[in-house]
Amino acid sequence: MAILVGKGSQVLIQGITGREATMVTKQMLDYGTPVVAGVTPGRGGQNVDGVPVYDTIKAACKDHQLNTSIVYVPPAAVLDAVLEAVDNGIELIIIITENIPQMDALKLLQPAQARGVQIIGPNSVGIISPAERCKLGAIGGDKVERCFVPGTVGVISRSGGMTAECSWMVKRAGYGVSTSVSIGGDALIGTKPHTLLPLFEQDDLTEAVVLFAEPGTGFEEQVSASLESGEFSKPLIAYVAGRFTEHLPSGTVFGHAAAMIEGDAGRPSSKIERLSQAGALVAEQFDEIIPLLQQALR
Amino acid sequence: MARILEDHGKGLLAECKIPIPTGKAAATAAAAAQSAQEIGFPVAIKALVPVGKRGKAGAIAFADNEKEALDRAEKILGMTVSGYPVEQVLVEQKLAIAREIYLSITIDKAAQRVAIVASSLGGVNIEQLSREHPDKVSKTHIDPLVGLPGYKAIEIWSDLGLTGKLLRQASTILIRLYRMFVRYDATLAEINPLVLTEEETIVAADCVLNIDENALYRQPALADSVQPGSDRAWRPLTELEKSLIEASAKEAYRGTARYTEFDGGDIGFMCGGGGASLLLMDALSRAGGRPANYSEIGGNPPESKVYSLCKGILSKPGVKGLFLAHNITNNTQIDLMAKGVVAALDEMGIDPKVFPVVVREAGTHDEEGRQIFIAAGIEYHGDDITLDEAALLMVEKMRRAYPDYDQWEGAE
Repeated sequence: MAILVGKGSQVLIQGITGREATMVTKQMLDYGTPVVAGVTPGRGGQNVDGVPVYDTIKAACKDHQLNTSIVYVPPAAVLDAVLEAVDNGIELIIIITENIPQMDALKLLQPAQARGVQIIGPNSVGIISPAERCKLGAIGGDKVERCFVPGTVGVISRSGGMTAECSWMVKRAGYGVSTSVSIGGDALIGTKPHTLLPLFEQDDLTEAVVLFAEPGTGFEEQVSASLESGEFSKPLIAYVAGRFTEHLPSGTVFGHAAAMIEGDAGRPSSKIERLSQAGALVAEQFDEIIPLLQQALR
Repeated sequence: MARILEDHGKGLLAECKIPIPTGKAAATAAAAAQSAQEIGFPVAIKALVPVGKRGKAGAIAFADNEKEALDRAEKILGMTVSGYPVEQVLVEQKLAIAREIYLSITIDKAAQRVAIVASSLGGVNIEQLSREHPDKVSKTHIDPLVGLPGYKAIEIWSDLGLTGKLLRQASTILIRLYRMFVRYDATLAEINPLVLTEEETIVAADCVLNIDENALYRQPALADSVQPGSDRAWRPLTELEKSLIEASAKEAYRGTARYTEFDGGDIGFMCGGGGASLLLMDALSRAGGRPANYSEIGGNPPESKVYSLCKGILSKPGVKGLFLAHNITNNTQIDLMAKGVVAALDEMGIDPKVFPVVVREAGTHDEEGRQIFIAAGIEYHGDDITLDEAALLMVEKMRRAYPDYDQWEGAE
């Protein structure tokens, strides 16, 4: 198995006729992802690489059993797109779009949470489960196998680029990934790292998880609590980037939108200390991920 | 976020029917004294700068007559507050304060709700107060889909002990401030203090307002009041930063190219994306390198954007090498990166055979990119080395090109 996406995914693309969405649709189909429908209001009846386009999700649902949606619409249209997906019973929504107004993000996260809908992103590059030949979004680009080969390690990162780089390090260490998740770089995102850990815990395929952490947020505090409570009992290998930010005046954002240090919990040094205490294997340098992974999976 | 100066912020408060002191901005001491005369003494004179703690910095003063107003305004207009030269002062009627309270609305990122923070004490450091007297500060989460009902506004102040006319007035202000927060896509709206005057009217004595930069497209009225890019600096933007923001905005349709200048340093840091830049900065410093700047490139920028950023990075005085590295890209095209960088080196007349350049660029179209780098005489690395190894190589190259590199200024 894998988590979140796999052979059971029935995928809808919102904004499928856009430039980037069209390109990525082809990539996904080539890889084997079950993309079955697309929506662009006013373009109903057309098709993109053989995928039928509908005017509304409601209309698409008449022909397909959809459970997953990828949102490629412009920032101003994201709130409405997500509300439409939630209302039509989509269970997993991946928001690729970045630079969404914060008020819109708040308004779309609320009803999703209330209905038990899993939101990944905004500002995610996607999710991939290589053994299932299922990738959602641009993740892996046009040469997926360079970074993402089937294996037993889960990967979690805010940064889309580092989702790829971490998965490549896993491959370099002699393993592959079960599922790699780019959770998104925006300040307000739907899925925080600690909420993915129980999924990886239950997944038979996954034997360890690699986490790429950045300054800001209380994510690693929550991850540490999951390790201590036993909610996640497999090896967790973590790397915390951005230690240089601690030597700069506060109030500057480096990296992703939420990477502003507010209080002690957001400091890379505090995160490293907290994760180590909780039993995570923390890489001092990024290259150490390789020996740590080999040690954990020996 | 983008900061709005106090006079503009107060203009928005007034528009939303929240009372403010009579006031006027002035760019010269003479104009300030003239305004003070019109407003009537005593007056407050405040530096118009986009940072807090002005009182502590001595950038707020009071004047009882025209001469004092002239003196104080002249002094403040010559100051620099947290790196910001004071170009304007706000002259305001000095309030006769009977009582001060505190009110702010913000986005609580951890709770993913709008948060209203209120206190029965004003003019205070709210973080400190909530640590020392948690009973005097309240925090209330609001679901933005529901909004703020009137009864909730009254509850908030009532729970803090407000009664009678003040309770009604403060509740009305809260409802209006919430409306303004939503209407203008604010991320922070703070009134500290909210003053009850001796005449029993309630007036916003200060206003801190931050606007969500991602929402500026639907806030045309604020276009002249905010400075884009002001979220990324603890000091005013440098000339180079300003010119690179302009260059990046000119072709906003694709890709980001952010640049933050450091004091000193000798390695031009041209890296991406958001996560990898953080990692590479740590790795380069650990290896003994001294970055002259920070940057993040991502989102598949066109060649021209890469070119502008690279030229900007190389133009900073003291830059003696170029570190060009990226995570393995999902969509950023390495051939466009290569073309932009080669064009910038060319334009600057830099010979990569003597000037240390390290390239670690792998991902989309990297074979084409490799050929462009090699044809330009630049040593190329893709996914044959890790990010850490690229940082080590950069410092090694600096040491080889400049045998006294470890004795340069800034070396530890």
